[in-house]
Amino acid sequence: MLALAGRRLAGAVAICLGLTVVLFVLQHLSATDPVRVLVGPSASTAQVDAVRHQLGYDLPLYAQWWHYVTGAATGDLQTSLRTHRPVATDIAQFLPASIELALFSCLIAAVLALVLGIGTAGRWRGAAPLNTVLLAIASAPAFLLTLLGIMVFYRNLGWLPPTGRTSIADPPGGPTGLLTVDGLLTGRPDVTLDALRHLVMPAVCVALLPAIAVGRTLRSSLTTALESDHIRTAKAKGLSRRAILLHHGLRNSATTPLSMAGLQLGSVFASLVVVETVFAWPGLGLYISQSIPTSDFPAIAGTTLLLAVAYVAVNTAVDITQAVLDPRLAR
Amino acid sequence: MTAILTSTRASGRLAGGLSRLNGGLVAVAVITLLAVLGPLVAPHTATEAAGVPFTPPGASALFGTDDVGHDVFSRVLYGLRLSWLSALAVVGVGMLIGLVAGVLAGLGPRWLDELLMRITDGFLAMPGALVAIAVVAAIGPSLEHTLIGVSVVWWPYYARIVRGEVRAIRSRPHVEAARLSGIGRLRVATHHVLPGTWSSLVVAASLDLGYVVLTLAGLSFLGLGAPPPAPELGAMATQGLSSILTAWWIPVFPGIGVAVLTFAANLSGDRLQAQSGRI
Repeated sequence: MLALAGRRLAGAVAICLGLTVVLFVLQHLSATDPVRVLVGPSASTAQVDAVRHQLGYDLPLYAQWWHYVTGAATGDLQTSLRTHRPVATDIAQFLPASIELALFSCLIAAVLALVLGIGTAGRWRGAAPLNTVLLAIASAPAFLLTLLGIMVFYRNLGWLPPTGRTSIADPPGGPTGLLTVDGLLTGRPDVTLDALRHLVMPAVCVALLPAIAVGRTLRSSLTTALESDHIRTAKAKGLSRRAILLHHGLRNSATTPLSMAGLQLGSVFASLVVVETVFAWPGLGLYISQSIPTSDFPAIAGTTLLLAVAYVAVNTAVDITQAVLDPRLAR
Repeated sequence: MTAILTSTRASGRLAGGLSRLNGGLVAVAVITLLAVLGPLVAPHTATEAAGVPFTPPGASALFGTDDVGHDVFSRVLYGLRLSWLSALAVVGVGMLIGLVAGVLAGLGPRWLDELLMRITDGFLAMPGALVAIAVVAAIGPSLEHTLIGVSVVWWPYYARIVRGEVRAIRSRPHVEAARLSGIGRLRVATHHVLPGTWSSLVVAASLDLGYVVLTLAGLSFLGLGAPPPAPELGAMATQGLSSILTAWWIPVFPGIGVAVLTFAANLSGDRLQAQSGRI
């Protein structure tokens, strides 16, 4: 068990190092010279060379890469070409909004996936049409969901605000950075309620695709599990449907949906970029999409690195959890 | 004799595999035909002024006109063709690289197998869409660069599938017989091993097509695609974003176009998987 965890962790570190190599190579393929942008177009060659030397861009490539990795490990993600601030500072400013949105999306996705998976498991008449309907919903691009959401819930019904994170002029600045939590901690329930109203639409738009992907996997593995011999024995013993499902079915069929859930974090991050752009949600996704038109590669690379490390960490944790659930996998 | 026997058996298996795949492949072919022929029924070209800007959907313009007077219906038809052919290109390139890498890993020396599989492991463990965004942002937005960026993160998946199939097939009797009868290694690889990898590769690829369409549309929505006024569905939605409250038809119809295309691809992939799983 511990050996497995050690192997997985070593693998995760290797993958993160590999990712820095990919990003580093991309940075050198990129047509924009970061030094030129930083010093401005009117700077003399001597000035450019001085800054290049100061930032270490004149070192051999492997030394530059090592500089990049050690920098990233200590929180230095280079300087943004657009905001002219350290990328790490920018990220720190945009991170809480993204964490709040991502957590809510994952919560909604998990609940939806469980309801879908458990509620529709087994062979029944409506299973095939339901499958097609789910496939249709999962085919909608994230930006279409956001547009339809704004049209229906803002323009037609007026229930939810269209953009932003809060409409309160002086939201609490701390301590967690998550407005829903801070509202409660600082004794201002109106902040929490307002933040929730802003959160619902973006979070559902992010959550639908992964929820359906995980729900369908859970449904098919539960359906298979419910047809196995030990379930028939449990039925013959007279156990309730609920007990059979929760104690005999769910645990045995959890591994595949779990790994699916880990992989879906990638689609959550990709949707975050689109959804935050449409809803003007001040998070990392908006930061990435604002950096694209200005070719601000350090900003894109730094954010990608952070999100990818989170992705690798979660999937490593999923691997280890699976081995706990199903000890055969640990061998 | 053995060679003749085994090769007919192999081609028999190939034919069986393909007939199994027919349903899904026919669906893909039909979507391709519709996507290619779609622009023929378009009343206007994608970039000509067709009417008064911001005309709502009606008799004169089925899906309305956009902010500069383009016919949205025509642009969506052109956009569907572009999206679908781009997705086919990404999957095709991914399959090709995957086939070569997978066969090299499965039949080549041990160190090559280790090297290629560590690389694919690394790619598969990264969030693909984000890395694709970074790739396109680095080499500069354009249609070709988007296709390159997405293909770069897509091939490892196919390489793994092919490699697994190759390792299973290479120890089968017909391959051994072919090798013993003195057939060269290359011919064994292309004629006796490769045909067996097709069916799982095609199933995986068809399940993927819808996701590729969605990913490409997302990148185009973020401005990482062909520059305007090219009829890209994602980019059209971005351009119409600011007028969502007054002229909803400009961003919504391109979005529905993406959804319909993805749904068609997902349905055929789903059927294909169900069929191949039953046998």
